[in-house]
Amino acid sequence: MITAHALVHAYGERRAVDGVDLVLHPGERVALAGANGAGKSTLLRMLATLLRPRSGDLQVLGHDQPDGARQARAGIGYLAHDPLVYLDLTARQNLELYGDLYGIDDRDARIDDLLDHVGLLTRAEDTVRTFSRGMAQRLALARMLLHRPRLLLLDEPHASLDARGGELLDRQLMAARDDGRAAVIVTHEVERVARVADRLVVLRAGRVVRDEPTTGMEPMDVRRRYEEVAG
Amino acid sequence: MRRRQLAALVRKDLRLELRTRETIVAMVLFAIVMLAILQFGFGTRDDDLTRFVGGLMWVTLAFTAVLGVGRSYVAEREQRVLDGLLVSPVPRVVMMSAKAIAIFLYMTVVEVVVIPLVGIFFVKGPYWESIGWIAIAALLANLCIALAGTLFSGLALFTRARDLILPVLFLPALVPVVIAAAGATYSVAGGPHDMSEWRGYCLFLLAYAILFSLVSVATYDAVFDD
Repeated sequence: MITAHALVHAYGERRAVDGVDLVLHPGERVALAGANGAGKSTLLRMLATLLRPRSGDLQVLGHDQPDGARQARAGIGYLAHDPLVYLDLTARQNLELYGDLYGIDDRDARIDDLLDHVGLLTRAEDTVRTFSRGMAQRLALARMLLHRPRLLLLDEPHASLDARGGELLDRQLMAARDDGRAAVIVTHEVERVARVADRLVVLRAGRVVRDEPTTGMEPMDVRRRYEEVAG
Repeated sequence: MRRRQLAALVRKDLRLELRTRETIVAMVLFAIVMLAILQFGFGTRDDDLTRFVGGLMWVTLAFTAVLGVGRSYVAEREQRVLDGLLVSPVPRVVMMSAKAIAIFLYMTVVEVVVIPLVGIFFVKGPYWESIGWIAIAALLANLCIALAGTLFSGLALFTRARDLILPVLFLPALVPVVIAAAGATYSVAGGPHDMSEWRGYCLFLLAYAILFSLVSVATYDAVFDD
């Protein structure tokens, strides 16, 4: 799913990501943790093809980056801090837009399914401007899942989701292993994500300082392992 | 697939505009006010301003275009939607083409108001015939404005001083368009009714549009992916 070797990205002279190696297999779910400024979001944006690596090798969904960015994008589901939807379009119009951008054949049926799934079917014709933050983020969840992505990239997803949205996301992540989908979840809530992740990767000053499986570990133990190295 | 993506992006821009009416209304009002200011600035009611018709109209439309182009990525920027578009498998050229189509349509709507208005006050000779020839030149000029505007608004999008950068980049690129469109307008509306001159200016506008489309296609990927 992802093969990254010696990945570097810098803002000016400051290296936000500094020689990261990361391999992600189908069905694997990685919690990507680290203190503020550790380089988590920058790394996630590189994996999402939104940032070009300054150096290093990156392959996403079998496509070399940056040359194969467009092919990789078709299989990426990206959930950011912001819902990435237009406030002055309705929930349905937003999903129709993305459905067309991804070329989804069963667009309308898929939209109805997802709106129902995230509990927004009755608000489908309302503009997103009238939604609460949690509802907008649930719509973002539907947007992310619309094109049945094989790779989920999530940037602190639990921070802005309401309780219902959080549960829906956790269920998706639990099911991801069986479906062969992979996920990278940037998080500060290590214990919570530990319940759905198979691996903990900790970044510090742009470098991977811990990369280990978490299967069978208690969430508190995962937190302790994180705090040992996070700085 | 590309056609579907393009249609979806254009539909989205038009839906947003129909819902908010922020850009076109502002452009039309701006154009009317500016025309009035220019008219008063150039002379009194007794002066014959016919020879300035092209300049009056196209200076107005050039500044109106700056206003419209400056607003072309407002929804994406203010509502932070751009990453959603960039992470989708839409070729950058399709994204930019959709914006160019939207700008083209906005300018056309403005001209539907401005050209007949200018015609009432300044056109000599057969009104509808002159308006028709001006409208054809205007469509070609719109093509240039839309292509150049999309490229420069894309470039300005990632800068901090975008409101300053855009006019500084865009207006110089509009100078040849203003010269040719004003020339074409004057040649059919200002008195001489010289169709060969009009044709020459229109060919220039077409060549400029082709040139800018080539430049744009060659640079769109770099604008958004670097």
